[in-house]
Amino acid sequence: MLSFGAIAFLNPWLLAALAALPALWWLLRATPPAPRRIRFPGVRLLLGLQDPERMPERTPWWLLLLRLAAIAAAILAFAHPVQNPTADLAGRGPLVVVMDGGWGSAPDWEARRARALEALEQAERADRAAIVVNLAAPRAPGARPDPRPAGDWRGAVETMAPAAWAPDRAGFAETAAALSDDLGGFETLWLTDGLAHPGADDGADLAAALSAAGPLTMIGPDRLALGLRPPVLEDGALVAAVIRADAAEGPRPVSAAAIGRGPQGGERRLGLAEARLEEGENDATLVFDLPLELRNQVERIAILTGGSAGGVALADDAVRRKRVGLISGEDDAGARPLTSQLHFLRKALEPTAEVVEGDLAALIDSGPDAIVLADLGVINDTDRAALTAWMEAGGLLVRFAGPRTARAETEALRDGRTGEDPLMPVRLRAGGRAVGGAMSWEDPQAVRPFPPEGVFDGLDVPADVTVGRQVLAQPGPDLAARTLATLADGTPLVTAADRGLGRVVFFHVTANAEWSTLPLSGLFVQMLERLALAASAGSHATLEALEGATWTPEMVLDGYGWPGDPGRLRGVSGARLAEGRPGPDAPPGVYVSGDRAVAVNLASAETTLVPAPPPPAGTRMERMTRAEERDLQGPLLALALILLALDAVAALAVSGRLRGARVRPRAAGALVAALALGAGLAGALAGVAPAHAQGAEAAPDPAADALALAATRDTVLAYVLTGDAEVDRISAAGLTGLSRVLAARTAVEPAEPIGVNLEEDELAFYPMLYWPVSADMPTPSDAAYARLNAFTRTGGMIVFDTRDANLAAGPGSGTPEGRALRRLAAQLDLPPLEPAPSDHVLTRTFYLLQDFPGRWRGSELWLEATPDPAEQPAGETPFRHLNDGVSPVVIGGADWASAWAVNDRGDFLSPVGRDGGRQREMAFRFGVNLVMYVLTGSYKSDQVHVPALLERLGN
Amino acid sequence: MSGAAGTATHRGSPAWLRRDAEQVSGALPPLLAAAERLAASTVPGVHGRRRSGPGETFWQYRQAMPGDPATAIDWRRSGRTDQYYIREMEWEAAQTVTLWVDPAQSMDYRSDLAPRTKAERARLLALALGVLLTRGGERTSLLGTQAARPSTGAPQLMRMAIELAREVEGRPDFGAPPRTALVSGGKAVFLSDFMGPREEVFPALIHAAERGVSGAYVQIVDPAEESFPFDGRLVLESLGGGVSFETHRARGLREAYLERLAERRADLMDTARRCGWRCLIHRTDESPRKALLWLYGAIGDL
Repeated sequence: MLSFGAIAFLNPWLLAALAALPALWWLLRATPPAPRRIRFPGVRLLLGLQDPERMPERTPWWLLLLRLAAIAAAILAFAHPVQNPTADLAGRGPLVVVMDGGWGSAPDWEARRARALEALEQAERADRAAIVVNLAAPRAPGARPDPRPAGDWRGAVETMAPAAWAPDRAGFAETAAALSDDLGGFETLWLTDGLAHPGADDGADLAAALSAAGPLTMIGPDRLALGLRPPVLEDGALVAAVIRADAAEGPRPVSAAAIGRGPQGGERRLGLAEARLEEGENDATLVFDLPLELRNQVERIAILTGGSAGGVALADDAVRRKRVGLISGEDDAGARPLTSQLHFLRKALEPTAEVVEGDLAALIDSGPDAIVLADLGVINDTDRAALTAWMEAGGLLVRFAGPRTARAETEALRDGRTGEDPLMPVRLRAGGRAVGGAMSWEDPQAVRPFPPEGVFDGLDVPADVTVGRQVLAQPGPDLAARTLATLADGTPLVTAADRGLGRVVFFHVTANAEWSTLPLSGLFVQMLERLALAASAGSHATLEALEGATWTPEMVLDGYGWPGDPGRLRGVSGARLAEGRPGPDAPPGVYVSGDRAVAVNLASAETTLVPAPPPPAGTRMERMTRAEERDLQGPLLALALILLALDAVAALAVSGRLRGARVRPRAAGALVAALALGAGLAGALAGVAPAHAQGAEAAPDPAADALALAATRDTVLAYVLTGDAEVDRISAAGLTGLSRVLAARTAVEPAEPIGVNLEEDELAFYPMLYWPVSADMPTPSDAAYARLNAFTRTGGMIVFDTRDANLAAGPGSGTPEGRALRRLAAQLDLPPLEPAPSDHVLTRTFYLLQDFPGRWRGSELWLEATPDPAEQPAGETPFRHLNDGVSPVVIGGADWASAWAVNDRGDFLSPVGRDGGRQREMAFRFGVNLVMYVLTGSYKSDQVHVPALLERLGN
Repeated sequence: MSGAAGTATHRGSPAWLRRDAEQVSGALPPLLAAAERLAASTVPGVHGRRRSGPGETFWQYRQAMPGDPATAIDWRRSGRTDQYYIREMEWEAAQTVTLWVDPAQSMDYRSDLAPRTKAERARLLALALGVLLTRGGERTSLLGTQAARPSTGAPQLMRMAIELAREVEGRPDFGAPPRTALVSGGKAVFLSDFMGPREEVFPALIHAAERGVSGAYVQIVDPAEESFPFDGRLVLESLGGGVSFETHRARGLREAYLERLAERRADLMDTARRCGWRCLIHRTDESPRKALLWLYGAIGDL
């Protein structure tokens, strides 16, 4: 198989035939087409003629090219080209299939598995041993896989699943080298995820080792997997950044869902966000704008398409805002802020928690996570019951001491209520103590460092935090257990006790700076944070806090990013988690230590994804989805056949045997150029044409002048061009015949008749217009009718001839031509008509006639009606006298032109009547009379009176 | 129909006989029927000679002259005056019309543009004219065949039809009217393509005219012969193969060919005019009725 990029040839040796193309070129161009023998009686007329142009002896270049293309296509087709050939394994030794298997492989895991299975199948067919290595699977150090028959690996591959951590490439590099030594080299198929996996290794060592062992094929994903940084809170919205390794892959839209647990415990999507990784950008921001209640339920954010463990960010307490209710025993409305009991609490909580204030009942109704009672002394029984119930249902009650608290406890002691107060972790001694005051010998007490394993473990205690006054707890057996923080002298500073599912925490100092400087220090905020009163500022503070504790996985992610049961996974030390490099021993997930939970994500806030370095030279790179293999032999053969068919047609055209299609070889070659030129010319003319048109208006048209001269130099009979070629031909021939008869018999010697285009030509030159009515003649335009009306008013006469011999019912009767006549004449300004009276002047202008036959006889002739002299209004010039008594229109259907028609040799074109010559003669006589009538007007009718006039003159 | 090119079958073989019989019984009636049908569209009539003579139509009364037989006197006319009148009839004489249908092979040509060969059209026209003339009582003859003796009536018509339908072997490539004795004062109609050599065709035409015969030429052409729709490298051959001409690009010869065709026609017309004949160009894709009408007019007028 010979491969050129995406195309390979299965029979490459056939391509050698392409070398024969030049020879073929030479052969083809020298072959003239063979002459064709044709029988043709007229050949005698051709004898002695010389060919004015010779057939090209050589085949035209474009035909040659066509043939060569056809043959080349055929050769290529038989060489069996294949597009996107499925690469077969090349080597012979053992096959090692290396699968990254990490989270970056999860999005296209099925394809990877299929690819691995396919490779195994090929190896099995080739009877090759194989080793399948999953880099992400935990391996015993130094363990070396053994080659096994390829088919044996299938089960292992089919059950393989992507891990939620990065593959351990470096770990296998050494093994690979050793394996190579053992096996004497092997071929490798590395299904890589294409990521460098920061913190792990970038795989260059492994690539080098594998490539040293034998041929290496690296199959990368179509698109590198996406990562998701842990969500943070920004302006009250949950924000997570999508990151990718390859910024050059182009814009990529990403959608992600915030998933939480519904009231019934099932998972549900709480919100959707979309972002778009722009070209050249490596990250984009997903913003989930959720109400607080929903936001606090968010457990993880997952990229919806192409999901993997890297595309899931687990949310922990860091993103949960608590709702904290604040109640103070004093009315601080008018108080100075710095002495207010709630001031420092507000300042500490407001940035990270939702602070609610109000009376106790309203607070409990609002469902807070915690309620802070700052020196609230006496609580009535209703509130106390509600508060207790709320606390036992999981609420966190934080109390601060103060004068009111001290007094309330003192009163309670005096009342004999010495039992345990559910709203107090410890019983207080009456009064309190003041240290370091003016009346005391003692200095203010500092805070003792927090004990390990306590809730405040790891917090630094600033030296300037001192306590001046405090309330003291009653000593008791469980006081030590309930103490979270103590002063330097051992007296409790913070005590806590569980109450049902809830907890009560008591600060033995005030929440303002009166009793201690604690509220002034940062420790105050951190302590509140540790008490889970406030969301942490960031997960790192949490990570730092991880160390020292052993964390139990509560939920772990699999490679696809789905949460799962940790199973028998052991607890993980905080130090291991703090490495920020999840692995088989510490997969990403939610870890719990005591009442703290921490989310371990694959990506941290600073993580960036980096593509793997380029593989060593000689490595074959493939993508996961290969374009489907396409056999190009069929299409190429079809192309060759089409080209050959074209060649047959073209060869026929060139040798002149293609009837109908007049393909001129040269023209065919230049066709494209001509088309382009034509288009260009058309464009140029479009610009020039208006200017030209304007010029034409001003300049006289020589053609029109010539026509006017021809029409006026002699008497000319004119006919209307109907657009029907046959009708026009007969009209011309008829008027020619009539003109000849006129010239022979009368003083009228007309020139050749002229066809008139009603739309364009001037009519004023012609005495008479013969208008054969054809059924499908288009109705002339208004301008044409204006000219026609002017023509009839100024002495012209139109002779309508319907040519249908069917005028017995009057003009415009039912025949198609009759209807056409009605349509055409509708806009003409015509006088009333009547059938020609027997004494009409038309019957005696030259010959004496009884009827007016043409090709047909017996059809009536309609003329302007003779006005009744009695009805003639005095003083008004009748139409008839306007034109010297000549009717402006003559309508008949006798097809006179056919009767008159002669050809150039003087032969008549149409048979006329049964008695032949006589009717034709009468038709000519009518024609002569007609022309005389037009030309002389009423002169002939006046001649009737000549004898009487002469007699009168004589007298 | 019968105009197909000659067959290789030996004359006299049963196949030949059978075909011959088929032609007589099958092909002839269609030709005759077609000719009759064509002729039916034209109204025939016996020509008056425009002079007195034996006939049935009244021509004129003239005063009886000494020597006129008494039986010739028209007593009814003479009774009105003091003079004797003789009623003269118009001389109605049967004309002899000689037809010649070119039997040459060139007439067998038919291009794709035409429905019939030239020979078929020529035979049809000849026979249709014959039908008309026979109906009019004229005598007809078919030159160059066994029906060459002028005769009239249906037998002559049948004879002509048989002759026209007969297959002739050894026909020439191109034909010219035979220089035989024509009936002086008669009429002749030559139906041919007149594509033969000039030195054969025109003397033959003039020879006919010199015999005192007037008539008409009908040049029957195929549309392809008028348009020359050929192109490319061709060897053009006459139908008998006697004349051939090779061209490298037939299209280039078209103008020259049409010019020569026009020249030949002009010569034909010229000859016709000088001899007092008439000439018609008839294309085989036109209606034969047109040509028949023209022919009938031409023969009748003369």
